[in-house]
Amino acid sequence: MTDVSAVDANSATANDAGEADERLAYRSIFQRLFIRPEIGAIIGAIGVWTFFWAVSLNFGTTGGTQNWLDSASTLGIMAVAVSMLMIGGEFDLSSGANTGAMGILFILLIRETGELGGLGASIWIAVPLSFAFAMAVGFFNGWMVEKTALPSFIVTLATFFILKGAKLGLAKLIVGQISVTFTNDAHGYAFWQRIFAAEWERNSHVWNGRDLFYIGMFLVGTILITLSVCEMHFVRRSEPKPAGLGLFGLGMAGFVASIVLFHTTDGVGANFVAAAVLAVSVVVAMVGFGQWRYEPVAAAGGLRLNAGITNYLVAGLVSIGIAVACAFAIDSANSETLFFPFTVQGLRAVLIMVFVGVGFMLAMVAANRALSVNPITKGAVSTVIAAALAGFAFVVRASSEAAKFRTELFSVLLLCALALFAWAVLGTRFEERRRTDASADRLGTRGLLLGVALLVFAVIIRHLFVTDAELEAGVNPAKFSVRMLWFFGFTAVMVWILGNTRFGSWTFAVGGNKEASRQVGVPAARTKTQLFMIVSGAAWLVGMLLAFRLNSLQASAGDGEEFEFIIAAVVGGTLLTGGYGTALGGAIGAAIMAMSAVGIASARWNSDWRFVFLGVILLLAVISNRAIRDRADSARR
Amino acid sequence: MADQHLLELDNISKFYGNIIALKGVSTVVNAGEVTCVLGDNGAGKSTFIKILAGVHQQSEGTIRLNGEEVMFNSPRDALSAGIATVYQDLAMVPLMSVWRNFFLGAEPTKRLGPFKWIDQSTAKQIAKEEMAKMGIDIRDTEQAVGTLSGGERQSVAIARAGYFGAKVLILDEPTSALGVKQSGVVLKRIVEARNQGLAVIFITHNPRHAYPVGNRFLILNRGQSMGSFAKEDITIDELTQLMAGGAELEALEHELAAATGNGNGD
Repeated sequence: MTDVSAVDANSATANDAGEADERLAYRSIFQRLFIRPEIGAIIGAIGVWTFFWAVSLNFGTTGGTQNWLDSASTLGIMAVAVSMLMIGGEFDLSSGANTGAMGILFILLIRETGELGGLGASIWIAVPLSFAFAMAVGFFNGWMVEKTALPSFIVTLATFFILKGAKLGLAKLIVGQISVTFTNDAHGYAFWQRIFAAEWERNSHVWNGRDLFYIGMFLVGTILITLSVCEMHFVRRSEPKPAGLGLFGLGMAGFVASIVLFHTTDGVGANFVAAAVLAVSVVVAMVGFGQWRYEPVAAAGGLRLNAGITNYLVAGLVSIGIAVACAFAIDSANSETLFFPFTVQGLRAVLIMVFVGVGFMLAMVAANRALSVNPITKGAVSTVIAAALAGFAFVVRASSEAAKFRTELFSVLLLCALALFAWAVLGTRFEERRRTDASADRLGTRGLLLGVALLVFAVIIRHLFVTDAELEAGVNPAKFSVRMLWFFGFTAVMVWILGNTRFGSWTFAVGGNKEASRQVGVPAARTKTQLFMIVSGAAWLVGMLLAFRLNSLQASAGDGEEFEFIIAAVVGGTLLTGGYGTALGGAIGAAIMAMSAVGIASARWNSDWRFVFLGVILLLAVISNRAIRDRADSARR
Repeated sequence: MADQHLLELDNISKFYGNIIALKGVSTVVNAGEVTCVLGDNGAGKSTFIKILAGVHQQSEGTIRLNGEEVMFNSPRDALSAGIATVYQDLAMVPLMSVWRNFFLGAEPTKRLGPFKWIDQSTAKQIAKEEMAKMGIDIRDTEQAVGTLSGGERQSVAIARAGYFGAKVLILDEPTSALGVKQSGVVLKRIVEARNQGLAVIFITHNPRHAYPVGNRFLILNRGQSMGSFAKEDITIDELTQLMAGGAELEALEHELAAATGNGNGD
């Protein structure tokens, strides 16, 4: 090593300049995922979904999904818009009342004149006219905030009262009551009804090939995600070894065979065979893939445990053990109420989940620590955890009554164990990447996104169609409203705008440091006004969705919901002080809130508890968001 | 002779009502030179740069750019005339990434029909290159500006001003919040910007920072100009004297000596 002194000299001068010692360390794919602002919300959403899936009968069914997605849609459209406004450093307290106001305005515009009251305008005029009015309200909010330089809290509070009063006053003045309705025989009604309130009835769309398609999509998606994560995690070989592809093909063949075996045979023995084939072939395929593309590990080392590792591992295993004991000790069929809100079986489920969750996390800490020793140790610890997880899966299967636990949870747990084991094996064989590789990251990111999209698509297809077998068994009807499409579309557009356009960049800038952005030439006033107009436009969209759903609206519709929008945005990781957050986070926050509202109802608890739940979620979200942001922020301090 | 100066300030005054913030300040600024504006707190330094940056307008006096009389009515005016200001608070958004801050307000875009979006790869590339020219190797332009050190932030701001075609670069107290080493880094950047042909106006209250890099010194005290000197006409001690208002500092020194001599500060 001749150039050691040179390197030292370099770093010494660089240290004098106060720069090189502050360089970023390489972040692995997992670390990068964990500092995204939405990550807290995503984990929270999975947690809340799992919780209600476990404690309520029909939350996880298509009917339940349709229920919470439906209420997430209107809430989510507003939450996404409000998130953007909050990133821009402002609040809009009139957004809730605005949704109802736009719907009422629209109805009053198209109602017949005469005895019924109203203006009798054509629906074709009323739709753009009410939209123009929404833009005007948004512009007014933004303009007032900019001109008066008052906090937007105060200005939009005034707008809120104006809208709330005008809604009531106009409704009473024109219709004579606080509920306004319209008839569906107007010209153009059918067209606009399809746009804002079309419905998809699941039970009239039969597709017997659905499950095959679902499983196929699901598997392709999972494989894509797995390989993409590998691509972003390991060091690429300078010269690929095509021999590995043979092994990969062999593994994939076994994989497909095992899936076919699962599907065509029934019976415990055959299932075990299939599961074993599946496990072996997954590992074989991944190792083959790795040999083709990635550098073999330089120094695997030998098994070296230290107290830091074993303590955590043992603690984790003990915790999982306690969960197993609970599973067998408490009667799973006993649905007596022990103390509110727990039945005996509910308490059992919660105890099991908590102990397993804690145990798993402790064990993962051990695995993480083992990583700093050497790859073999990490592999060994991970294998132990995978085995514990697999064991727990069988405990769940043996001790549970409900089909969802016996089959769904069982399979998911087994697959997780398998994934963990396969990852452990790969880690002992291939070199982990410790520096940036832009081309690998790009490829990996694309693959990852495509994989996630396929999974989402698979789930959507599964919910949209019904099979003959299900119909015979008497499955509940489910109707999906087009408002969900509006929700997804609006979110996608806003995510794109925020991340990729100048307007998006300026939104972050005016929220983060308004004076600074003005100094460098960002049109701060215009950006903020446009943000207010986006919120008002979203309120108009929601107003249309509400009006066309029931052909009638209460004058109080939407009042007071503005805080739910703000809560959803905060739960989604948006900073109350502005300058940080995402649009996607707002959508996920809305999903969490809708899930908790629907979940509590479907778990047959008093729906008032929803607010307690909301409060707890909000508190957790704020705390965890702050932790995530601090980590992202202080990466170099 | 007047025509060869890049920027010429003649008898600039600024009144806020009956308060005289700046009175009769004149100096010249040349390309490839550092003009230091020195003064204690309240000397009128901020007013002076705000007039140059177009934030405020002078009440009296003229500004000539390349010999032509100009009036800056807004920061945008000054910016388009090639006068870029790096403020003390840096005009940066701490939670935004380096490249977004670098291009803030002037992002390069791609277009497809009515859709226009930021050309991220170009932006990141340029930001990285421009920072490299300043001698800073930013490894990850995605990193938030808030995580950079003070000296690095100044460097981003200076590199940005240079890239966007500034002819005159005004630096407002760039070293005041920095430690000794970091100040050294910034002073080096100032010299580099000067060597690239920019006219630099360096505002500071620290003569030790100004003297090594400056070609010309404008000294302000209580809103009055104490004169504009070329480097060869003045020493660092004279500079310090003038800044504090000469006689006042001497009187203060006597007082201090007397106080410590008696050992009784009361």
